[in-house]
Amino acid sequence: MIRPFLQVVQLYKKFGDITALNNVSLAIYPGEILVVLGENGSGKSTLAKILYGLYFPDKGYIEINGTPVIFSSPAEAKSKGIFLVSQRPQLIDDMSILENIALFLSTSPSRGLRKKLSEILNDLGMAIDVDKSVHALSYTEKQLVDLVKVLLAQPKLLIVDEAATYLPRELKHKFLNIVKGFATRGGSVMYITHKVVEAAEIGDRFAVLRRGSVVGVFEKGVDVSTLRQAMFGSEEYLTATTKSPVQRPPHKTPALSVENLVVFDEYGKPAVNDVSLSVRLGDVVAILGITGNGQKELGEAIVGLRKVAKGKVLLNGDEITYMPASERVRRGLIYVPEDPFREGVAIGLTVAENMKLFSQSRVSKEILETAIKKLEVSPSNPLISVAKLSGGNIQKVSLSRLLLNTPRVVIAYSPTRMLDEKSRVLILRTLQKLAESGSAVLLLSEDIEEAVYISTRIGVIVNGKIVKFFEGPELESYREDIEKVMVHA
Amino acid sequence: MPKVAIVKRELSKTVATVAKVLVILLGLLIAIALTSIITGASMELAGITLLQGFLNLNVFVYISTLLPIAVGLSTAFSASAWNLGAEGQLVIGAVGATFIALYTPFGRQEVVAPLMALLFASFLGALWALPAALLKMTRGINEALTTLLMNFIAYHMTNYLVKGPWRGRAVYGYPTTDMIPVQARIPTVPGYSFSWYVVVICVVIALLMQLFLYRTKVGIALRALGSSPRFVELAGISSKRLFLIAFLLSGALAGFAGGVKVLVYHGKLVEGPIVGSGYGFTAIMLSWLGGLNPLLLIPASYYTAALYILSFGLQIGSAAVGDALANAIVGSLLAFILLADFLTKYRLVIRWS
Repeated sequence: MIRPFLQVVQLYKKFGDITALNNVSLAIYPGEILVVLGENGSGKSTLAKILYGLYFPDKGYIEINGTPVIFSSPAEAKSKGIFLVSQRPQLIDDMSILENIALFLSTSPSRGLRKKLSEILNDLGMAIDVDKSVHALSYTEKQLVDLVKVLLAQPKLLIVDEAATYLPRELKHKFLNIVKGFATRGGSVMYITHKVVEAAEIGDRFAVLRRGSVVGVFEKGVDVSTLRQAMFGSEEYLTATTKSPVQRPPHKTPALSVENLVVFDEYGKPAVNDVSLSVRLGDVVAILGITGNGQKELGEAIVGLRKVAKGKVLLNGDEITYMPASERVRRGLIYVPEDPFREGVAIGLTVAENMKLFSQSRVSKEILETAIKKLEVSPSNPLISVAKLSGGNIQKVSLSRLLLNTPRVVIAYSPTRMLDEKSRVLILRTLQKLAESGSAVLLLSEDIEEAVYISTRIGVIVNGKIVKFFEGPELESYREDIEKVMVHA
Repeated sequence: MPKVAIVKRELSKTVATVAKVLVILLGLLIAIALTSIITGASMELAGITLLQGFLNLNVFVYISTLLPIAVGLSTAFSASAWNLGAEGQLVIGAVGATFIALYTPFGRQEVVAPLMALLFASFLGALWALPAALLKMTRGINEALTTLLMNFIAYHMTNYLVKGPWRGRAVYGYPTTDMIPVQARIPTVPGYSFSWYVVVICVVIALLMQLFLYRTKVGIALRALGSSPRFVELAGISSKRLFLIAFLLSGALAGFAGGVKVLVYHGKLVEGPIVGSGYGFTAIMLSWLGGLNPLLLIPASYYTAALYILSFGLQIGSAAVGDALANAIVGSLLAFILLADFLTKYRLVIRWS
């Protein structure tokens, strides 16, 4: 029998009163992809961080090739060939891509490395200049660079913590293929995700975590619904694909319009080039595009976080092009930012404090508790610091701004990418309900599925231009066309 | 080559607190040792002096100046507004209080005079902080530099006033103003140079600031500003306005402290460096000592004040050391406490390979 490359033995980890891991034991064999599946806050990331030496377990240990170890730093984990790609790209913003990777590999940014790196990025279809500094990259691009960085270190165990979850479909396939290839060559992969379908696609074995405990280990070929049931522990589960078409009263006046907008990126190149669009009250308009095609800049320009070079932005018919973001928010434009960690929440404050800031009117304790309950933020204690929450739960806190206000216009940038399926449906429903009750919703996304699910109109953005709008009751049927336009236009 | 790694660690809150308290106590021992070495007094004497320092009512002299400044600076620092100009704002506050007391008709009205003087001192302190804030907001000029430089301008302006137009007629040529009218002075405790009124006001300011920072929306947003101005903007609160509020509050509280120095302690305006005497800088350390938390600043300022008394208590007859010793002790203690803070969050792993 093959010996496992790594075993975790009876791990316990508590954070204050919260038990993150409760007697977790698992084995990972060489050449296999072990999927660790669980909803937001089930302890997946904590497990990954212990394996990578970022956290110290309260009890239990790790065994590598039969020798027990406990890592006290990532450096030790790395020396054993364990590498982590996390849901927060670990890159230094002020350095270039090449410098970041050289730093990580402890080599110099040589010509050879530059060439190798450019090739890998090209293979992934990301023609990014490796001398570009990291802060100019979008979240998705950073994620990808981070993955490439780790692969270059030639790991024995690759821990992928939700890192591929948010990549656009096309890139994700390429990435998953690389991961599979890595496993076929004998590497071990621990693939952490909350997406059941994606898990079933890639995994050889599945360990399901719920509230810090392993509730089941399944072999390849397991039924998706079995996994779901193990994950959520309840059968009354709503699938994301039940679309509920709604009849909306037509509104004529646009709540948000953008006219011939031009926005530059950090290098003075136009990131948004002559974009016009309008969103009426009751509408859900989605702007879809592969990352790096200008959605980020478009969203930021509309909300006022980025300077507009040319063109106009109108809110309820008033020009707001040069207003500070805070003023626009006060006028009823609510923006859900791309990066929940840096812009979505104030990480040092408590959940309650964050929510108080989001709400444009006074919030009572009851309202706060209702929002927390509805979003199933876990742990549900409002007085806990946001820094202690898992990635998905941090995004939920950021999204609570949608529940705490009655916005005129909502702009949401990939609002569901860190959420498990249940929360994802909740957020999409919330956006839909907001539209039904008279808000205008603009969704900026890389995910065709969620766009098709709730939108009345979909624009596809390529190289900073909206190349085509799709409209009509049966957007579903355009899915393939939309994908084609996104990729090839 | 030994390899050194810095590794994060999780300690429970109690352990971390106990560790900090231990360091603070250890700091006292170091303070005693340092004082005895420098002043040549025996360790025993230094120890007794320190103990007396904690029991000496004179701690309130220092608390009434240090506490308000540190409370203001904590507010500014939690918003990442790096106001290093409290010293200058204090000095200008003192100028403001003197102006009201000596050169306006309010100066001879009981109760009104000290109140007006303190208000005007706070106003001038805020005003002195304003240019740096505006330069930062409009031109992006580093506020740490500008506020630091403004300190020297404040010193020299005050020197000019007391040597020139404001020099007193009854001071035999010394560079000070005349004494301010009795009505403008705040009554002190007999035999001491501090006032209970002021001490109470200072504590109330700390309590109010605590409520402001943790209970009001603007206060909470101020604390968030440090980590992300964009987050604050997206919550519908102007980050520029918050920055300005944090800056002006810290300036006003430093100015207030300057007013207190004139109305309670000096009774007249003296040369800039004497009015300031480094309190504006000590308060920077103090605010970190108190973890930028107004409530914790109350015990922290008491602790710092006792250290001041220790160094002065042993310096009678050796004035050459000045307040340098107090500052050196407080500074090294702060370094220790920051180190302790670091060591409760991280640990060093050293490997020989």
